[in-house]
Amino acid sequence: MDHAGLVQRLERILGPGGVFHRPGDLLVYEYDGSVDGAVDTARPAAVALPTTTEQVAAVVKLANEAGLPVVARGAGTGLSGGAVAQQGGIIISLTRMDRILEIDREDRTALVEPGVINLELSETALPEGFFFAPDPSSQKACTVGGNVAENSGGPHCLKYGVTTNHVLGLEVVLPDGRVVWTGGRAPGGSGYDLTAAMVGSEGMLGIVTKALVRLTPQPESVVVLLAAFGDMDAASHAVSGIIAAGIVPAALEMMDALTIEAVEPAYHAGYPMDAGAVLLIELDGPTGDVRETADEVSTLCRQAGATEVRTASEKAERDLLWKGRKMALAAMGRLAPNYYLHDTVVPRSKLPATLRRVGEVSKEYDLPIANVFHAGDGNLHPLMLFDRRRKGSVERVLEASHDLLHYCVEVGGALSGEHGIGTEKRDYMTLVFTADDLAAMAGVKNSFDPRGCFNPEKLFPKGYMCGEVRALRAQAMAQKLGIYAL
Amino acid sequence: MPSDHSTTATSPASASPPLIDGRVPGQVVAPLDGREVAEALATLASDGLVVAPVGGATALGLGNLPERLDVALSTANLGGIIEYEPTDLVISAGAGTRFGDLQAVLADHGQTLPIEVPRLADSTVGGLVATALSGPRRLGSGTLRDLLIGISVAHPSGTVTKAGGMVVKNVTGFDLPRLYHGSLGTLGVIVSANFKVLPLPRSETTVVAGFPSAGDALDAASRLYRSPLQPVALEAGRFESGWFASARFEGRDQTVRAAAAEAEHLLGGHAERFNAEESQRRWESYLAPQVIETTDDRPDLLVRCAVRPRDAVSLVQGITRVADERRFTISYLGCSMGLGTVMVRGVFLEGGSADALRALQERLLAIADHVTILSAPPDWKWGLDIWGRPPETLDVMRSLKEQFDPQRVLNRGRFAGGI
Ligand SMILES: Cc1cc2nc3c(=O)[nH]c(=O)nc-3n(C[C@H](O)[C@H](O)[C@H](O)COP(=O)(O)OP(=O)(O)OC[C@H]3O[C@@H](n4cnc5c(N)ncnc54)[C@H](O)[C@@H]3O)c2cc1C
Ligand SMILES: Cc1cc2nc3c(=O)[nH]c(=O)nc-3n(C[C@H](O)[C@H](O)[C@H](O)COP(=O)(O)OP(=O)(O)OC[C@H]3O[C@@H](n4cnc5c(N)ncnc54)[C@H](O)[C@@H]3O)c2cc1C
Repeated sequence: MDHAGLVQRLERILGPGGVFHRPGDLLVYEYDGSVDGAVDTARPAAVALPTTTEQVAAVVKLANEAGLPVVARGAGTGLSGGAVAQQGGIIISLTRMDRILEIDREDRTALVEPGVINLELSETALPEGFFFAPDPSSQKACTVGGNVAENSGGPHCLKYGVTTNHVLGLEVVLPDGRVVWTGGRAPGGSGYDLTAAMVGSEGMLGIVTKALVRLTPQPESVVVLLAAFGDMDAASHAVSGIIAAGIVPAALEMMDALTIEAVEPAYHAGYPMDAGAVLLIELDGPTGDVRETADEVSTLCRQAGATEVRTASEKAERDLLWKGRKMALAAMGRLAPNYYLHDTVVPRSKLPATLRRVGEVSKEYDLPIANVFHAGDGNLHPLMLFDRRRKGSVERVLEASHDLLHYCVEVGGALSGEHGIGTEKRDYMTLVFTADDLAAMAGVKNSFDPRGCFNPEKLFPKGYMCGEVRALRAQAMAQKLGIYAL
Repeated sequence: MPSDHSTTATSPASASPPLIDGRVPGQVVAPLDGREVAEALATLASDGLVVAPVGGATALGLGNLPERLDVALSTANLGGIIEYEPTDLVISAGAGTRFGDLQAVLADHGQTLPIEVPRLADSTVGGLVATALSGPRRLGSGTLRDLLIGISVAHPSGTVTKAGGMVVKNVTGFDLPRLYHGSLGTLGVIVSANFKVLPLPRSETTVVAGFPSAGDALDAASRLYRSPLQPVALEAGRFESGWFASARFEGRDQTVRAAAAEAEHLLGGHAERFNAEESQRRWESYLAPQVIETTDDRPDLLVRCAVRPRDAVSLVQGITRVADERRFTISYLGCSMGLGTVMVRGVFLEGGSADALRALQERLLAIADHVTILSAPPDWKWGLDIWGRPPETLDVMRSLKEQFDPQRVLNRGRFAGGI
């Protein structure tokens, strides 16, 4: 099938308005939210914009017939290259399937199409007394389908859990074009938990066309504390102190001096400019509980050396404190033209040491690194600031990243806490997993997608899924990265 | 511990063979570590034998009748805490670790895994993950699925693999731990598992109210469910002598007390309050009838039905109707509000039979989305899929089984659709 033939067949399924195929229209689909240089870009043959599940299924069948790979795409805010069509083929953009089909107060669930924007779902559920707990910082743009595919997290996942804890069932188009449901409204279906396998599978096992998600009741009361510290070490100790006291805040976020420097002048959130680090601590629940816990947290912070602790209970005050955190990435433009946002996770007790290591790496590579992250989960987001016009800067960023990833894995951490592996970190998979571990994951891939047509070249180390070249490539890769061979 | 384990991975276990759905396996092995488990599985696979992993043997009757059974693989030697870092709120334990022991270690540090296990002294970590059953607290605390962060598994291919890790947030690769959760040992033998743990609640209280009829009890529980109160568990049903509704609250002392007072008012009826240990004991005795037993001389059934939460009340009414019609006497019924599950224990008036069980399952399937016969006399299970309707994704599940256990060495035939 040639390109014109493909476009024609696609238009027959989707109508002329439902297909992009001219180079100019395809441009934005060559990228996602990740850094150019850390992730390769690639051009799809065409982009399909279905409005129904049947259309998705028909496009998948057509791709099979044409022998083309298929890549699902939401808002394209992903940070690991997941939505980029590495081998070309058809991108299925789910953004036109954006209806909230049902909010059920009694079941405390929502049935949504995959293109629904994360924040829109929470806002729609709000008048009913509920919210959708996973709240990635990109929630104004990212889709529920993308959240499901990446098993996304956010500040409030400390208390409420990540996406997988909130997905009850999925309508899925399988790689053979069949439409099935996994899970559902009634708990305890029979057989393997395919919903669990689907969440976080980065579009490699199936395309989500509907999601049945859990809604969480709004807490009776919410308080946000801002605690300022002289340095990140003291702030980290406060984090440990809070956890050790048996308190699980709704959110527990840390920002360092560099972040404050970027954020405060731009958004006037009220962070002390002379602080070495601030913690944002949100507590929620029954009013009495929240009040008592806030006093306790406040004391714990002071014991850990907080220079200032402020409590905000009114919504406007709380929103202002959060605004700085939420706009942190946008504010980085004030400090440097480009940034590389990292996502690694370490055991909470290793936070102080890891943050010190981040500081060392920053010095060694002469690279400013801002830290703004989910401290309560041990989920770091070192933000490397650079100017890509300066020769060698991208390389320096990548080398520094490499050092940091190694360190995090060495202290018992993982490659990614919420952004996924995609192409960005696939060659690091051998740092944490053996060939046998990866073979088990490949077993799952093969069960769903024996021909490997859904989102190829993701998650597994380069060359892993194509048999014989695997060993050779792995060897070369291992040499390059200085890591163990497969 | 067996004294001589140097030669093979199949060291004889000291314990007598367990009864698995009325069958006695010809041999029991108790490997000493994950590698030995994998070697044992590989050997059994090449000999064409079939193995049942065995933990605390509290739920061996769960599942379809074994298609074949040669060897029991005990995890008795795989027990013990592997790593526990209280400040990280994570723990890693060997598959053979008794749940009671695990909870005791956690409690020493003011922490817990907030799940209910009817026989916690015997149940093992491996068995808990493999069976994925859950209790009333699911409403407020979720299940083990929500707490499982890492796993190590031995496969019939002779390998031991790990997935996940010891951090609470992790998207490094496919989520295999949750796929193994509830796979009833049919994809591999769990060697160890890692969990996120939680601080022990500072205080807890349970309110129990008695009612003259099922309808009154369910109405009361529904009222509470729709109120702003957020109990961690909310049950209605038939227990001991009559119909009841019951709510469990956790949190700080004052809040819990205030919530309990409010709950008493909302439930109406004849309400009683239980605090702290009393509250815990209350729930333990409530769960006691939810055990899986499979003897032919105690032919009572344990059945779990599930619908979407909003239909729970009509499901209970339906079950009562079906029970009358099938001449089945319900001795125990627990409906979890907000979850949509109903647990039923009872006996057939005429003693029962395979046909009676099949007819009961059929009738229940007509009124519920899922019906699982958790416990029944083995003789009645011939040819029956105790898991109910096969899921529409059965072919994907079969290929998973084919990928992980092509020779069907593990628990052959016991899982949904005869996997
Ligand atoms: C400024 C910024 C802040 C961010 N903050 C966070 C954060 O706090 N937490 C966090 O977890 N992430 C964060 N992210 C990353 C990203 O927003 C999330 O991964 C998000 O869930 C991706 O959603 P999307 O709709 O943009 O998906 P895309 O980027 O379009 O796709 C991501 C992956 O999902 C797959 N996919 C998309 N839709 C479907 C579908 N319907 N079916 C199957 N597969 C599908 C794609 O194939 C791809 O592999 C951030 C990103 C940015 C740019
Ligand atoms: C009604 C009810 C409610 C329950 N509620 C909860 C709850 O809320 N939360 C909870 O976690 N548990 C709950 N349990 C307990 C739990 O489901 C099991 O009873 C118990 O965990 C079984 O443990 P065991 O060690 O005795 O397993 P066994 O009885 O020895 O084995 C049970 C099954 O698991 C397999 N298995 C055992 N060990 C392994 C292993 N290492 N690898 C692979 N497969 C293995 C066996 O082959 C067998 O099929 C509940 C049980 C019942 C009956």
